[in-house]
Amino acid sequence: MKSSASLEQSRRMTTILTYAALILGAIIMIFPFVWMILTSSKTVYESTRIPPTIFPEQFTMANFTDVLTNLPFVNLYINTGLTILFRVLCAVVFSSMAGYAFAKLQFRGKNLLFGIVLVQMSLPSQIFIIPQYQMVAHMGMANTIFALVFPGLVSAFGVFFLRQTYMGIPTEIGEAAYLDGCNQWETFYKVMFPLTGTSVAALTIFTAVFAYGDLMWPQVVNSDVTMMTLSAGLASLQGQFQANYPVMMAGALLAMLPMVILYMIFQRQFIEGIASTGGK
Amino acid sequence: MKTKLSVAARREENWGWIMVAPTIIGLIVLNIWPFIQTLYTSFCEHLGFGHYKFIGIGNYVDVFQRPEFWKATWNTIYFCILTVPVGLFLSLLVAMLLNAKIKGKGFFRTIFFLPMVCAPAAVAMVWRWIFNGEYGILNQLLGIHINWVTDSKVVMIACAVVAIWSNIGYDAVLLLAGLQNISKSYYEAANIDGASKITQFFQITLPMVSPTLFVVMIMRLMSSVKVYDLLFMMVEETNPAVTSVQSLMYLFYRESFVAGSRGTGSAIVIWTVLLIGIITVVQFLGQKKWVNYDV
Amino acid sequence: MKKVPRIAAMVLAITLLLSLSGCGAADGKTHLKFQIWDVAQRESMEAICAAYTAKNPDVVIDVQVTSWNEYWTKLEAAAESNTMPDIFWMHTNQILYYSDFGKLADVTDLYDDVEPDYYQNHFSDISIGNASGSNGQMYGVPKDKDNIILVYNKEMFDAAGLSYPDENWTWDDLTSASQKIYDATGKYGYMAYNEDHLGYWDFVYQAGGYILNEDKTKAGYTDPATARAIEFYVNMQKEPWCPDQTYFAETQPGIAFFSEECAMYFEGNWELMNKATRYDNLEGKWDIAPLPKCPDPASGDGRATMSNGLCYSTAAHGKNREAALDVMKFFGTEEAQNIASSYGAAISAYIGTEQPYFDAFEKAGYDLNLQVIEDQFEYSVQLVNNAARPKWKSLVLAELNKAYNGQSDIGTVLENMQKIVDETTASNLANAAYYK
Repeated sequence: MKSSASLEQSRRMTTILTYAALILGAIIMIFPFVWMILTSSKTVYESTRIPPTIFPEQFTMANFTDVLTNLPFVNLYINTGLTILFRVLCAVVFSSMAGYAFAKLQFRGKNLLFGIVLVQMSLPSQIFIIPQYQMVAHMGMANTIFALVFPGLVSAFGVFFLRQTYMGIPTEIGEAAYLDGCNQWETFYKVMFPLTGTSVAALTIFTAVFAYGDLMWPQVVNSDVTMMTLSAGLASLQGQFQANYPVMMAGALLAMLPMVILYMIFQRQFIEGIASTGGK
Repeated sequence: MKTKLSVAARREENWGWIMVAPTIIGLIVLNIWPFIQTLYTSFCEHLGFGHYKFIGIGNYVDVFQRPEFWKATWNTIYFCILTVPVGLFLSLLVAMLLNAKIKGKGFFRTIFFLPMVCAPAAVAMVWRWIFNGEYGILNQLLGIHINWVTDSKVVMIACAVVAIWSNIGYDAVLLLAGLQNISKSYYEAANIDGASKITQFFQITLPMVSPTLFVVMIMRLMSSVKVYDLLFMMVEETNPAVTSVQSLMYLFYRESFVAGSRGTGSAIVIWTVLLIGIITVVQFLGQKKWVNYDV
Repeated sequence: MKKVPRIAAMVLAITLLLSLSGCGAADGKTHLKFQIWDVAQRESMEAICAAYTAKNPDVVIDVQVTSWNEYWTKLEAAAESNTMPDIFWMHTNQILYYSDFGKLADVTDLYDDVEPDYYQNHFSDISIGNASGSNGQMYGVPKDKDNIILVYNKEMFDAAGLSYPDENWTWDDLTSASQKIYDATGKYGYMAYNEDHLGYWDFVYQAGGYILNEDKTKAGYTDPATARAIEFYVNMQKEPWCPDQTYFAETQPGIAFFSEECAMYFEGNWELMNKATRYDNLEGKWDIAPLPKCPDPASGDGRATMSNGLCYSTAAHGKNREAALDVMKFFGTEEAQNIASSYGAAISAYIGTEQPYFDAFEKAGYDLNLQVIEDQFEYSVQLVNNAARPKWKSLVLAELNKAYNGQSDIGTVLENMQKIVDETTASNLANAAYYK
C-alpha cells in the first residue's frame, strides 16, 4: 500500500517535471515572436532606450505604414502564393511520375539516372544560382513568376521521397491492375497515385515551406521589387532601414502572418505530413 | 511466350523512360550542367563579366595556402559539432517529453514546430535584435554585456542557438513519430523485469528509435555542412567577427559574388562537395555500428 | 490512355500561364526600367521621370529600388546576360570595371547637337571625373555631387561648455572635445569606425597623404603621411570616448547619434534630409560643420573632404538604348537637375542647380548650417577609385579590422593593405589586357 502511494507520488513528480520542462521550452520558443510583436509597435527612439521598455509606451502603427509604403506587400503575397502553387504542382506531378518509375518499373539506365537524383541532393544550391540566372535571362524571363518557379520545376528530394513511398506499396496491387488491362500509365495514375495521399501532402508542405523561405534566388533573379517574394522583400528591408529594428520587425511580422495563419488552420496536416518524411 | 514478355518489358521500359524524363531533363539542365560548369570554372580565372581564362590547378593551390580557407573549413565543422549533437539531444528530449502521458500535447507540439513555418530571413532578423549588444533584450534581462553577434569568441554559439531553435520542432516531430512506433509491450516487459527508466531508455528507446535518429542526423548534418543563409543574415560581411563564423559556402559567396573571383569560389565549392561525400560515406559505414534495423 | 492528354494539357497550361504572367502591358508605349539603390531618392527620381514623360507621353518609366548590397550582384549578373535595366545609377566604385569591359554606352557625344562642350561648361571636373572611364570617355551623365560633413549634437557641446565646431577646428579639437563631452555627459564623442569613404580616407587627404597614386596603379598606404593619418584614426578607438569595432558592427554611427549616444560623426550630405525627417524628435538639437583639418599636414593646408557623384548610365547594347539615351539626355539638363535638387536628397551636379537643395531644407523647416557643404566643394577631393576597387574594397577593410582587434600591428596591416591594392590592381590590368 505504501509502495503504491510512493509510486503514485513519483509518477506525479515526473508529470510535474515534464510540464515544467515543456513550459520552459515553450517560453523559449515563443519569446522571439512576442518580442517581435512588441518591438514592431515602438518608435525607433524607444526601441534603443536603456533601460528598455517591455511594453510600448506609445502604441504606434507608424512602422507598419512605413513598411507598407516601402514594400508592395500585396504583390509580395501574390508572388509568393503563385510561386508556391506552381512549385508544388511541378514537384508533385513530376516527382510522382519519376518516383513511381524508379520504384516499380524496370528500365535500362535506372540506377545511373537515380544516381543523378542523389547527386543533386548533395550539392549546395548556391552554386546553381549564376548559371540558372543566365538561363532565365537568356529566355528573357527575368522578373517574372516563371523565374521564381524555375529552379523548382523539378525536385530531387520529391523524387527520392516518393520513390520511398511507392516502394512501400505492395507490388501485387499494381500487378492486379495490370492484369485487369491497365497499361503502366493507368496503373500509376488510377491505382498507385491515389494511394500516396499522405506523402503527397507532406511533399506539398515541404515544397511550400522551402519556396517560402528561399532567399538568394528571388533576390538575384527578380530585381523588380513588385516581382519579389516575401522573404526577398523582407531582406531588402534590412538594406533599406539598416538598424531600424521596429520597422524590420513590422515587416517580418507581415511577412510571416499568412504562413502562420495557414499553419494554425492546418497544423494537424502540417505536423503529421512532416512526421511522415522521416520514415525509413 | 518469350517474345510477348519482351514486348511487355520493352513497353515497361518505354514508360519508365517517359515518366522519369521530365525530372531527369530538368535535373541535367538545372543542376548537373551548372555543376560541370562549376567544376570547369574551378580551373579558371574569372576576368570579369563571365569571361574566363584557363589556369589549371592555380585556384586550388591559392585556396589551400590561405588561412582564411582552412578557418572556414573548421568553422563549417565546428558549426556541425555545435548544432548536430546538441540539436539531436534536445530534439530527442522534447520528443520524449511530448510522448509522455500529458494533457496539452498538441498545444506544445504546435509551439515547438512554429519556427519551421517562419521565413529564415525573419527569424534571423528577430534574433539579431534579441542578441544586439547595446540594446538587445537578452543582455538587458541578464544584466550582462556580451556582444553576441560581434565578439568572435561567442558569435558561432549565438548562430548555433538560432539554428537549433529553428529546427528543434521539426526534428522532434520526426523523432516523436519514431517513438510512437515502439510497441508498448517492450516497456511492459521491462517493467515486469524491474528495469529502471534509465535502463529502459538505453535498452529499448534508443535502439528502437535509432533508424529515425539516423535519418534526422543525416539531414541535419547535410544542411549544416551547406549552411549559408542563416550565417549570412546573422553576421554581415562588415561584421568584425565574420572570419570566426564564415562557413565554406559563406566564403564561396564572398569570393564569387563580392570579390568577383569565381574561380577560387568554384574551387571552394568542389572542396565542399568532397567534404559532403566523405561525411556521407563515413556515416553509412558507421551506421552499422549503432543503428538497429532488426525490428 | 485518355488521361495522358489531360495531364499534358495541364502542364502546358501551367507553362503558358507562367510565361504570360511575365509579359508587360501591351499598350504600345515604350516601357523603360530605371534602377536605383536609395529609397530616399525615389520621389525625386520619379519627379524627373514625370517631367520627361509629360513631354514624351509614349514613354513609361518605372523607377525601381534595390538595396545597395544586392544592387551590384544583380547588375553584374544582368550585364553578363545583356539584360541590364534601361537606365541605372552608376557609382564611382564600379564605373571603371563596367566601362573597361564595354558594358556601358559611351555618352561623350550625347549633347553635341545642343552644345559641343556641354559637360565641361556645366559640370565640375570632379563630376566629369566621376562619370568617366579609364580611357577618358564619358560613360554616364553626371547626376549629383556630394561631400562629407561633421554632424554634431549641440546639447552635448553645451553640457561640456564647449563652443561648436567651425572651420578652424583641427584633429586636436576633435579629440579634446570628445574627451570633454565624455567626461561631462558620459556619452561617446566622435565615432571613429572602420570605414573608408566616411572615415579614414578624409583624414589621409587632410594629412597630405594619398590612397592611390596619380595613374591609379599603386596604393599609397605606406606613404608616411597616409600611415600617420590612418594610425591617428585607428588609435582614436582606443580612447574611452569612442566605442570599439564590435559596437559598430551592430550599431551604425548615425543610429547611435540620433539615439543621443554620441556627440559627433561623419555623414554624407545626401543623408541629411532623410535623417532630419526620420528623427524629428531631435530637431534643432543638432547641426553640421566642416570636417576638422589636420594641424600639421605633410602638404596642403590640412583641409579635405571626399567628394563623390553618381551618374546615370545605360547599357552599351541595351534593347531600348536610343529611348534610354534620350531620357538620360533630359536627366542631364538644367531643368531636370533643378527638379532633382528640390527634394533635398542630393545636390544636383549641374552647376547652378544647387539652390533648390538648400531651399528644400528651409521649406521643411530644418535649420542647418548648409553653407558648409557649399564651402567644402572648394577643397574637396574626388573619391578614390580604380578599376580593381570592387575587388580590393572589402579585402582592405577586412585587413584594417586586424589593426582594430589587435590581430596585427598597424605597420603590418598597412603593408598588407598596400600589397592587396597593388596586386589586385596589377592582376586586373593584366586581365583587362587579356580580355581585349
